Amino acid sequence: MKARLGDVATYGGLALLAVFFAAPFLWMLSLSLRTPAEIYLGAARLIPDAPTLGNFRHILSDPAFLLYLWNGLKLSAAGGALAVALAIPAAYAFSRLQFRRKQAALVAILAVQMISPLVILVPLYRWMGAMDLLNLHASVIALYGALGMPLAVWLLKVAFDAIPVEIEEAAIVDGASRLQVLTRITLPLARPGLASAFVLAMVTNWSQFLVPFILLERDGDWPISVAIFNFAGSVSASTTQLLAAACLVAVVPAVAVFVGLQRMIVSALVSGAVKG
Amino acid sequence: MLLSPPHKPLTNGSEGTSVTKRGPAPADGRPWPWLVPAVAILAVFYAVPVLDVFRLAFSDATLIRPPTSWTAAPIRALLGNPALPEVLVTTFVFTAVNVVALQAFGLAIALTLVRGEARGLRGMTTFRTLVLAAWVVPGIANGLIWQMLFDEAPYGTLNSLLGFVGIGPVAWLSDPGMALVSAVIANLWQGTAFSMIVFYAARKAIDPVIYEVAALDGASPWRTFRSITLPLLRTAIAVNTVLVAVQTLNTFDSILALTGGGPGRATEVLALFTFNTVFYNLDLAGGSVLALIMFAVAMALATVIHGWLGRTA
Repeated sequence: MKARLGDVATYGGLALLAVFFAAPFLWMLSLSLRTPAEIYLGAARLIPDAPTLGNFRHILSDPAFLLYLWNGLKLSAAGGALAVALAIPAAYAFSRLQFRRKQAALVAILAVQMISPLVILVPLYRWMGAMDLLNLHASVIALYGALGMPLAVWLLKVAFDAIPVEIEEAAIVDGASRLQVLTRITLPLARPGLASAFVLAMVTNWSQFLVPFILLERDGDWPISVAIFNFAGSVSASTTQLLAAACLVAVVPAVAVFVGLQRMIVSALVSGAVKG
Repeated sequence: MLLSPPHKPLTNGSEGTSVTKRGPAPADGRPWPWLVPAVAILAVFYAVPVLDVFRLAFSDATLIRPPTSWTAAPIRALLGNPALPEVLVTTFVFTAVNVVALQAFGLAIALTLVRGEARGLRGMTTFRTLVLAAWVVPGIANGLIWQMLFDEAPYGTLNSLLGFVGIGPVAWLSDPGMALVSAVIANLWQGTAFSMIVFYAARKAIDPVIYEVAALDGASPWRTFRSITLPLLRTAIAVNTVLVAVQTLNTFDSILALTGGGPGRATEVLALFTFNTVFYNLDLAGGSVLALIMFAVAMALATVIHGWLGRTA
């Protein structure tokens, strides 16, 4: 009986919280399906009388908008892949080799994670300007690689730790080098960990605003995050429905990827949090 | 090690943590070749820039002009800037409230989820997914979404809702005090998931036997929470406090999109102030001083974590 009451309380509490967490999504959807006239009806019209996909059509038929989406995808994916690639050797060493000050080095990497990109962008912007590296996607990707690497090292170390070392030892006894062991045995076995690290880095990059906003000046180079910020500056009350549609288009890819792969990612994060 | 309770070895799925289980390292185990890429990246993208920030903080550089002289003038100018105390107070309030609220929310949700799962209730994964979905919303989009929700026009979302129940329009974004509250609400929506995951993981790592014993002894849920869950989550809470504090301190894109720092400077936190100083006022030297403050706070907090790890590892 008592447990039943507890269940009711559990559902009650979660229902309230669910309203808080779901409302912004639902409201964006509601706004984005409205005609301009219905925007002025506010909350009285959660489900529009005359829902229209016109706003999405308007946004997605704009070639510039598609370009922003493509830029966002390209920068996030390349930056995420770079972060993982840079992290693999270090994570392998942290997992498999014994050396002095290993724990301190791992904590130092965690500390680096705490430095705001803003701090390092101040001088990097100057250097990149001096070296003519501004307005290049390659510069943004390189920075994403650097920003994503520390977390990737932690996640991959945990993933490598989970692979029994005996498998590697057998290969080493058979005469394989460390590098061969890594590429032929460890990396294939660590695929879920690699995928989690990559997806997490990619989703973080998709959200990045500061780096592309500072490094890319040309409209055509922008990813979606910078584009919607500029778009928001140009809309008025009569185009709220378009901004809502644009926000949803910017949000949905990241949410979809994350929700689709969440079991894998959450378990990587959970084991990372417990073991790290 | 980091977030699991200190009293108990790990049983979480895979291998235990370290040294003892593994055989001796094979002879070709020199770490340096493996660490070169990571160290190079850390040097080029973190260490040297931070040193350069130090240097620039003592210069007269602007964003469009290289430094010509070296003095402590920028530091003096910044300390004399009347905006600074206001910004620091705002930052402190914003960070402190978020650290408490995010963790209270995250802990409550994590424990409720664990309870629901233990009782076999349906819908727990769906709820967790919903919270996580808010987490991956880009900061800029978060600011824009909440700006629409907080719209102060009579047809604005929250105000038109409040209108139904007869509560007058709230100046969500134009009243200085309220704007900070609004910024906290938007940050809570997005940030809770992180604490939820951390506490969920830490709670799952507590030995269920302890709870069985408590149940046999007839301990009330509150007593169980006070005497078992909370003490065993102490390390997780401590470390998470620092991580959340740093994240909150570094947050600025959602505020930029939500309020732009206004009205006045009411929601201008340190990160946003730094951004504006460098990239709008082009004051590179002053911005470097501010960046140094951000760096120093982050590193001080990181050192605190290091101390905790040293004790529990």
